[in-house]
Amino acid sequence: MANRLLEVNNLEVAYGDVGALWGVSIHVDPGTIVAIVGANGAGKTTLLKTISGLLKPKRGEVFLNGVPLAGKAPEAIAGMGIAHVPEGRGLFRQMTVLENLELGAFQPKVRKHFRQSLEKAYTLFPRLKERAGQKAGSLSGGEQQMLAIARATMSDPSLLILDEPSLGLSPIVVQQMFSLIETLHRQGVTILLVEQNIHQALKVADYAFVLKTGELAMQGTGADLIADPEIQKAYMGVLEVQ
Amino acid sequence: MTLNIPPPDILLQLSLNGALGGAMYGVAAVGLSLIFGTMRLIFLAQGAMIILAAYFVRALFYGLGIDPFLSLLIVVPVGLGVGWLVYQGLFRRAAAEEDRNISLLIAVGLMFLIQNLMTVVWGGNTAAVVTSYTASGIEILGVRTSFTRSMGFLIALAGTGLVVLFLRSTLVGKAVRAASEDMEAATLMGISPHRVNAIAFAIGISLAGAAGVAVATTFPFNPFAGFIFSLKALVALALGGIGNVAGALAGGIILGLIEAYVQYFISGGWTNAIAYGVFLAVLMFKPEGLFSRPYKKA
Ligand SMILES: Nc1ncnc2c1ncn2[C@@H]1O[C@H](COP(=O)(O)OP(=O)(O)OP(=O)(O)O)[C@@H](O)[C@H]1O
Ligand SMILES: [Mg+2]
Repeated sequence: MANRLLEVNNLEVAYGDVGALWGVSIHVDPGTIVAIVGANGAGKTTLLKTISGLLKPKRGEVFLNGVPLAGKAPEAIAGMGIAHVPEGRGLFRQMTVLENLELGAFQPKVRKHFRQSLEKAYTLFPRLKERAGQKAGSLSGGEQQMLAIARATMSDPSLLILDEPSLGLSPIVVQQMFSLIETLHRQGVTILLVEQNIHQALKVADYAFVLKTGELAMQGTGADLIADPEIQKAYMGVLEVQ
Repeated sequence: MTLNIPPPDILLQLSLNGALGGAMYGVAAVGLSLIFGTMRLIFLAQGAMIILAAYFVRALFYGLGIDPFLSLLIVVPVGLGVGWLVYQGLFRRAAAEEDRNISLLIAVGLMFLIQNLMTVVWGGNTAAVVTSYTASGIEILGVRTSFTRSMGFLIALAGTGLVVLFLRSTLVGKAVRAASEDMEAATLMGISPHRVNAIAFAIGISLAGAAGVAVATTFPFNPFAGFIFSLKALVALALGGIGNVAGALAGGIILGLIEAYVQYFISGGWTNAIAYGVFLAVLMFKPEGLFSRPYKKA
C-alpha cells in the first residue's frame, strides 16, 4: 500500500444527474502495466478522465504517490507526472509532428530535457522523425496513434494513461501497438491501459480491473483473468464471434 | 446599370485604396480570430476597443504632443496589459462555463459600457486627429494615395506578421494554437486554459490599440463607430476562415476591395448591404473561409 503510484478510492462520477461510476477503486503499482477492461459504456473513459482531472468526482479520491489530486486542474495534474492519451488521440492535427512533440514537453520541468526526450522518442518511433515537418492530421491512423503516445512520453511521465490505443487500427498495427507498449514497459514506464481488445490487454497486463456498467466487477492478474471462464464467456467469446 | 470599365490607373487607385482601408478591418479581425480561437467567443467589443484606443491616441497627441504613430510604443503595451486585465477581471469566471452565451453577453455589455464612457468623457461628436501630414500623399506603384492610410496598412501588416511569428515560433505561441485546436488536449499537455485565454486577449486588445492608431490618423471617429468595425471585422474573419490568423488580415483586405469596387461601380449606399451579403454567402457556402486547406475537413 505504501508505494502505490496511483490509488483510486470509491470513485463516484456522474454526468449531470446520470451516474457513470459507482464506488470504483483501483490501484497501480510503479513499473507495472494495469489494464481496465469492460464493454462499451462501462465507464472506462470516465474513470481515466477523472484520474487526469478532466472530470470532477462526486465522491471518492485519487492519490498520485500519496498526494491527493482532489480539486486540481488537469494541467496541474499533467504537471505532476500523469500523461493521458485520450480516446481519439487528441492530436493537434493542424500542427506538425514536431510541434506536437514540443507541446508534449510543454511543462517547464521537462522543457529543459527536450532534446534528449526527442532523441529518445525518435529512436522508439523512427517514422516520426521522417515525418517531423508533416501535419499530424496527414499521418495514417497508426502513425497518429504512435505520435499521440510519443507525445505523451515527451514529459517523461510517472504514469502513462492510454485510452483504447488500438481503436480503429488494422490488426498488424494493433500488434505493433502492443509490442510498443511492452517496450515502454521494459523501459520502466508505468502504464494504465484501457482496451476493448480484452485478450491482448490481459496478455500484456500485470494486473487488471474489469468494469461493468460503472462498477468494478472483477480484478486480478492478467493471467488469472484470461483463464477465468466467466471472462472468457462474457468478453472474449463475444469478440471471437464478431 | 451600365458597367463602364474604367482606365487601368483608376482601377489601380481603387484597388490600392480598398486594400489599404481593408487592412484595418483585417487587423481587427486578427484580434477576433485569436480570441475566438482559444475561447470560442466572438469578442464584439473589439471595435469599441479600437475607438477607445483612437481617443487615447488623440489625447496623447493633443494633450502631450505625442505623434500618433510614435504613440504605438505606448498604445500597444498598454493594450497588452488591458487585454490581460479584461480577461482576468471580466471573462475568467465565464470562461470556465461550457455555455459561451454568458461570455458573449459580457462582451456586449463591455461594448456598451465603453461606448457610453467615451461619450461621457469625450462627448458624442465626431473627433479627429489632424497632424501636419494628415493631408499628405505618397506615390505607390505610380498611384497617389494617402500617407496615413499607407501607414495604417503597414501597421496592420507588421502587427499580423508579429502575431504569426509569435504563434509559429515560440512555445507559448504554439500552446495558443494547440489550445485553439483542442483545449482539452492542450490541458493534458499541462497548458492552462486561463493562461492561453489571457494571452489571446492581451494580443487581441493590443492589436485593437494598433488599429486605433490607424483609425485615429485616417478617419474622423465617434464613440459609436466601433460597432460597425466589429461587424466588418467579423465579415473579414469569415472570409479569412475562423481560426486562420493571416487569413483574417487577407479577409479584411478582400472586404476593403469589395467595398471600394461596390462604391465605384454601383453606389456608396450599397457597400454595407453587399458586405453583409458576402458575409452570409461565405458562411453558407464556404463556412471554413476562402483559404482553408482540405485536410481540415477530415
Ligand atoms: N459527456 C457525457 N455526457 C453524458 N453521459 C456521458 C458522457 N460521456 C459518457 N457518458 C455516459 O457515461 C457512461 C460511461 O461512458 P464511458 O465513455 O466512460 O464508457 P467507456 O467504457 O469508455 O465506453 P467505450 O468503450 O465505448 O469508450 C455511458 O453510459 C455514457 O453514455
Ligand atoms: Mg471509452
